[in-house]
Amino acid sequence: MSNTEVQDDAINVDTEKGNFSYPEDYAYDAGVGLSEDTIRYISDVKKEDQWVREFRQRALEIFHKKDMPTNWATKDLENIHFDKIRYYLSKGQQPSRTWDEVPDDVKETFERLGIPEQERKFLAGVEAQFDSEAAYSHMKEELEKEGVIFVGSSEGLEKYPEIFRPYFGKVIPSTDNKFAALNSATFSGGSFIYVPKGVKLKQPLQAYFRINAENFGQFERTLIIADEDSEITYMEGCTAPKFETATLHSAVVELVALKNAKIQYITVQNWSSNVFNLVTKRGMADEGAEVKWIDCNIGSRLTMKYPGVVLKGRGARGEVLSIALANDGQHQDTGAKMIHLADDTTSNIISKSISIGEGRSTYRGQVHMPKHLKNCKNNTECDALLINTHSRTDTYPAITTRGQNNTVQHEASVSKVSAEQIFYMMQRGLSEGEAMSLAVNGFVHELLKAFPMEYSVELKRLIDMEMEGSVG
Amino acid sequence: MNALEIKNLNVSIEGQSILKDFSLTIPKGEVHALMGPNGTGKSTLAKVMAGHEDYQVESGTVTLDGENILGEEPDVIAHAGLFLAFQYPLEIPGVSIANFIRAARAARLPNGETINAVEYYKELYEKMDALKMDRKFTARSLNDGFSGGEKKRCEILQMSMLDPAYCVMDETDSGLDIDALKTVSEGVNLMRGPERGFLVITHYQRLLDYIVPDVVHVMFDGRIVHSGPAELAHELEAKGYDWVKESFATTA
Amino acid sequence: MNTLSENTMNNPAKTAAEPGWLAERRAEGLAQFKTLPAPAPNDELWRFASVGRLKIDDYAPTGAPDAATAEALLERSNLVSERAGRSVYVDDHAVCFEGISEALKAQGVLYLPIEAALQSHPELMERYFLKESTELGSAKFFGLHAASTRAGSVLYVPKGVEIEQPLVNYYWTSTQGTAVFPHTLIIAEANAKASVVDVFFSETKENEALNIAVSNLHAADGAQVFRKVVQDWNEQTTSFQLDTTIAGRDARVKNLAVNIGAERARYENQTRIEGPGANVKMYSLTVAEEKQEFDQRTFQTHNAPNAVSDLLYKNALLDNSRTIFSGLIKVAEGAQQTDAYQTNRNLLLDPTAEANALPGLEILANDVRCSHGATTGNLDADELFYMMQRGIPRRAAMQLMVFGFFEEVIEKVDSEELAENLRQLIHKKFDAKIA
Repeated sequence: MSNTEVQDDAINVDTEKGNFSYPEDYAYDAGVGLSEDTIRYISDVKKEDQWVREFRQRALEIFHKKDMPTNWATKDLENIHFDKIRYYLSKGQQPSRTWDEVPDDVKETFERLGIPEQERKFLAGVEAQFDSEAAYSHMKEELEKEGVIFVGSSEGLEKYPEIFRPYFGKVIPSTDNKFAALNSATFSGGSFIYVPKGVKLKQPLQAYFRINAENFGQFERTLIIADEDSEITYMEGCTAPKFETATLHSAVVELVALKNAKIQYITVQNWSSNVFNLVTKRGMADEGAEVKWIDCNIGSRLTMKYPGVVLKGRGARGEVLSIALANDGQHQDTGAKMIHLADDTTSNIISKSISIGEGRSTYRGQVHMPKHLKNCKNNTECDALLINTHSRTDTYPAITTRGQNNTVQHEASVSKVSAEQIFYMMQRGLSEGEAMSLAVNGFVHELLKAFPMEYSVELKRLIDMEMEGSVG
Repeated sequence: MNALEIKNLNVSIEGQSILKDFSLTIPKGEVHALMGPNGTGKSTLAKVMAGHEDYQVESGTVTLDGENILGEEPDVIAHAGLFLAFQYPLEIPGVSIANFIRAARAARLPNGETINAVEYYKELYEKMDALKMDRKFTARSLNDGFSGGEKKRCEILQMSMLDPAYCVMDETDSGLDIDALKTVSEGVNLMRGPERGFLVITHYQRLLDYIVPDVVHVMFDGRIVHSGPAELAHELEAKGYDWVKESFATTA
Repeated sequence: MNTLSENTMNNPAKTAAEPGWLAERRAEGLAQFKTLPAPAPNDELWRFASVGRLKIDDYAPTGAPDAATAEALLERSNLVSERAGRSVYVDDHAVCFEGISEALKAQGVLYLPIEAALQSHPELMERYFLKESTELGSAKFFGLHAASTRAGSVLYVPKGVEIEQPLVNYYWTSTQGTAVFPHTLIIAEANAKASVVDVFFSETKENEALNIAVSNLHAADGAQVFRKVVQDWNEQTTSFQLDTTIAGRDARVKNLAVNIGAERARYENQTRIEGPGANVKMYSLTVAEEKQEFDQRTFQTHNAPNAVSDLLYKNALLDNSRTIFSGLIKVAEGAQQTDAYQTNRNLLLDPTAEANALPGLEILANDVRCSHGATTGNLDADELFYMMQRGIPRRAAMQLMVFGFFEEVIEKVDSEELAENLRQLIHKKFDAKIA
């Protein structure tokens, strides 16, 4: 196929590649189940300030009070047993600054996932999280000199409270939803980033999240603040081995783009197929700022994730580009939220999903334009591709429009790869599987172009792999 | 005075100056052509005269037979006698041509008077025949799904039905094949007369072979830089607009 | 006076000799009404609806109108002059039942008041009457309807019989505080053809009323049915309209609704395609003004392959009005080669009006063509300029454009007289606003 020549350069991450684990050997373990004591243990290990301790305890109360959102979401959520999960596991508190200092098994893990290699090739900085804490964190020196901060959540709150505390939990309050509350109570790891005024990062920063332990919940917390006129691209990847029991990943990601800043957040989610991936992501865009989510969901058993942008300042722009691939036993329940709160704001949502075998992909969207606004625009396109007879797709957008000269446009379509297209390609000598892969790659082609080269090559290959065995 | 008069008109959009001290007088009975390269302000002039709200008039006057029209609502300007044939006529779904022109005519009648439907349709059909338009068009939604040629013919049909004192035609020739161009020109020529003035805006000389102007103006960078008889159009065609740019860029 | 609250409603409507099965259905309905919870804000099927504004306790069925009122309203029941039959109800009391011709009767066509049909054709009624509740959120109110309904018409068209002219049912409210439960039942057997117009009017601008109307339409294999709804209640009315269409193999059904009345109108319109090759169209037009709320919930279910459904809902909004369009296309497993479309267009004419759109898809078959689109916007400024350049004043130009917006639905009415009458109804509503 046409992309074979570039495949050698591709990042070698795929479901099987990630399917390995090392024996457990943790210095810190909060035990099984969730209580005030669990939360206190985490705070003690992290030696947290009183306000952080209170923040966690309040969030725990909210978590207990809130119902599971099964009035609209899948009943599969009821299969999460919060009392059987381990909420904090780590080998140590301080991430290493060089790969040589990282413990051997952890280092090997990330080497097998190709992270150090990527860092050398095209990244401005990397943080690699192993279960609850980062094992490695390093950023290019010149960025440090420019005042860029790239640390873990605990370090961020402890060392730079004046920068991070004003925004922490503000874009996504603990009350936002049950899983945001859970994260707020148990958070550990993740990235806290500050880009000073006018600083434009040429290369992306990357975080890699790895779950190694069984019956474990990973709750990283990310907060990115791009000060006026700054620019940053952040990428995250994730994998876990395939265990017998379900694993939970529930992150909260808050982005703050101040005046004229640009944040681009790229996710390639490739959790193993027993991970519940329930993530809350939202950005706030000030005057003239831009927040762009590029979201690719390939793995997990159930993903529920609706990246949002609160368009708070005049002329702000928000964008969500997403690709979801649901194979047998998977439910990709993804979407986008655009909340327009100022004049002249624009938002764009493009969502492409592919359902294979008995896979199910769902799009949920919310677009909100209240009455006092003028000249706002939203455009939404949702396209679903169904591969097999039992594949399923749903689309549930909710759009509210008032005000003057605001326009909202939503279009969705469902299609399949036609037998004629396959026949045509097979007549040219491709196998049925290759033809199918080519057609699917064509379906997502326009969106793949939005990803950095290295990622789009990897994605193409992942899609090819998922398509194997889907025909016949 | 019996003329369309534009005096020292300065217009900008979003702070950018487009018309610069623009002046032009078109007496009734005359056809003036306005030619010039793209982006020189020709279409802006047409829209400003018709009262489009996107443009900021800094200074200057536009009068029809001595009456000011600047700052008036578009329908008031239309009633005063100015008709603009659009470069890109709008599509209005669900509103038929017949009903639309009828509504436009009715809006010109004094209170209490109504249109005689029989006479109206007689006149409409005659004019459609002259423009070689199928009578079935009357029931179709205005410009909805029309080809480029059909839209332009429909503009001339409206112009003829509404009987304006001054006609401004904005790039009416764009997108027309030669047959359509001839038909449209014939429609316009039928309307020429001592009681009507025309401003024909065009990029190409081709249209002026069929609608022969009394005066040709060359516009560049927001103002008229040269005027002359009908032959000037041929000269322009031969020398090209680069000649205009070279000759007038410095003096402009 | 008895009211309709869950506490006081104890006895389902009873007529002389109702059969046992009906008594059972009424009792079931009552139980459903009493036990199902009232709509709540977090209920997905009531999303965006102002559930707090729903009040039904203050209404109760009322007695027959006096002769003068009956005559006046009969006179005003004149939207369609060429018809095969007509019924006129005032506060759920029949004031006129203009039956069908002897020729149609001879072919086996039935057009009867519900009560008469229960007497003369109990088997038919047992098979179809009150059998279809709603899946779109108002099951509680369907229960109340089942317990209470007594007015309405049944049309039965036997196999292969075609009726050219429409049957027209008028449902009026007149008495202050009345509750009405009109029911239209349409059964078209194989290859039969019929059309029905249901008209909902209020006597005055002031009489407050509650309406819970149900219509069930069964189109058997190859049947062709065109049902039109004209709802122009006054703005003191709370209205529920719970309509179900079931389409058999190759059936062709058109539903067209003009909803412009009521203070709060909930319109649930569900279509179930049970036979391959069926073709169902659902069109609606709404003008919302003042504090009106139109809450439209639609369901296009494809249980059979090779069928087509097409939905177009257009809303124009003025003042502080609200509309909610919530539509779902559901393609069941195995319903291959389905073509299903859903379009919602909202035109905001005032900055204070609010349009909500929830266009949904649930697709469980892979060989389908499905799409939905929803747009909301204002009148186009360039189009307005173009029209004004022709000398049409702003308000008149706006009105022309709004009517142009509606024409896409009106032109599908198929009857020039009714289309013109509908334009007049809309005009009446608009003239005070923009003209």
